[in-house]
Amino acid sequence: MDYVITAVIIGIIVFIYSNNSKIFNIISPESSSDSQTKAKDADLIKSLLSLDEESLEELLKLYKNQFGRGAGRYARKTFQKWKAGKVRPNRRTFERFLIQLPKVMSYDLKCEVLRLLMEAYCSKNDYRISVFTDDWEETLEPLVKRIIDKSYTAELPRLIEEKLHWLADGEMRIARNILKESQAKESRIAVSMLRQEFSGIENLLAGINSESRVTHQLKFPYGTITLEIKRR
Amino acid sequence: MEDEKNELTPKKQSLFPVSAEDIVDNALQNLDEEQARAVTRKAADEVVRIAVEKRKAEYRNSAAQEEMRNLIDNANLLDRRGGDYKINSTFETASGTTNVEVRKSKLTQTNLIVIVVGLIAVILILVFLILKT
Repeated sequence: MDYVITAVIIGIIVFIYSNNSKIFNIISPESSSDSQTKAKDADLIKSLLSLDEESLEELLKLYKNQFGRGAGRYARKTFQKWKAGKVRPNRRTFERFLIQLPKVMSYDLKCEVLRLLMEAYCSKNDYRISVFTDDWEETLEPLVKRIIDKSYTAELPRLIEEKLHWLADGEMRIARNILKESQAKESRIAVSMLRQEFSGIENLLAGINSESRVTHQLKFPYGTITLEIKRR
Repeated sequence: MEDEKNELTPKKQSLFPVSAEDIVDNALQNLDEEQARAVTRKAADEVVRIAVEKRKAEYRNSAAQEEMRNLIDNANLLDRRGGDYKINSTFETASGTTNVEVRKSKLTQTNLIVIVVGLIAVILILVFLILKT
């Protein structure tokens, strides 16, 4: 009798396994890669959340016009939750925002999205160095040059280029050149007053009698330089 | 007719690789009129945006210099009053952010070491005296 019960139980287990094995085989590898893709798609959507107020409004209006009032309302309502990470945008949302919408986006908006993607996904270099108020120029100059030149060489990861084909369009190639030149110019403007800034910091260190610690962080589109500044 | 011929002649011929401007020029030729207009407008907008950013950077810089002068005055005022104090200040400058920490404390690192060494010495003396009795 015991043998019969055991055989029946084994039979049931084999039956269940044979019926589900295909499902297991299909689901497990796909779900893991799918979740990875989802994670990356969700991150890409997140970079859209940093758009300025005006551009964001334009984007949401376009979304409503293209995909209907209900979808527009949902996107507007859920945007903050996507931003806070409370809700993860799904694949359809990603496709709508970053594959379908660019076809109808204004050039300005596409340029802004490009800027955000470049700043979020191009590799960055962060440096931390100690300098004195009388020798900072020699140390900092080559580093600043290198980091500014990165504006010209920065490239989006291939995975993003492959996903977002519109980035390869002729007008977007020009947009990249405009952006690169503009970022480099902006960085040059930022550091153009460094001598004045250091003179202020030197006066500060000289003018204070108590113990003082000064750090200065230079911010560039593709990296930062953190300086610990001392006076001899 | 002559004009047409001239138009067909490439404007720039060089043995050297194309520069960034050439890339823009070449790419512009492949765009329709509306796209070319949008691109040109964007380039002009960026020039204006950068000019505005430059002004903002100059303003941030002069404001930061003024705030730093105020910080020196405040720290020295607190210094004259005596007592311990700690000031943390952050300034947004043209190139980034400056963080300044000013502190005055009687309990300096040297003082702390002296106190610890003194305490250890007292404990050792006490232990020595107890063991001796």
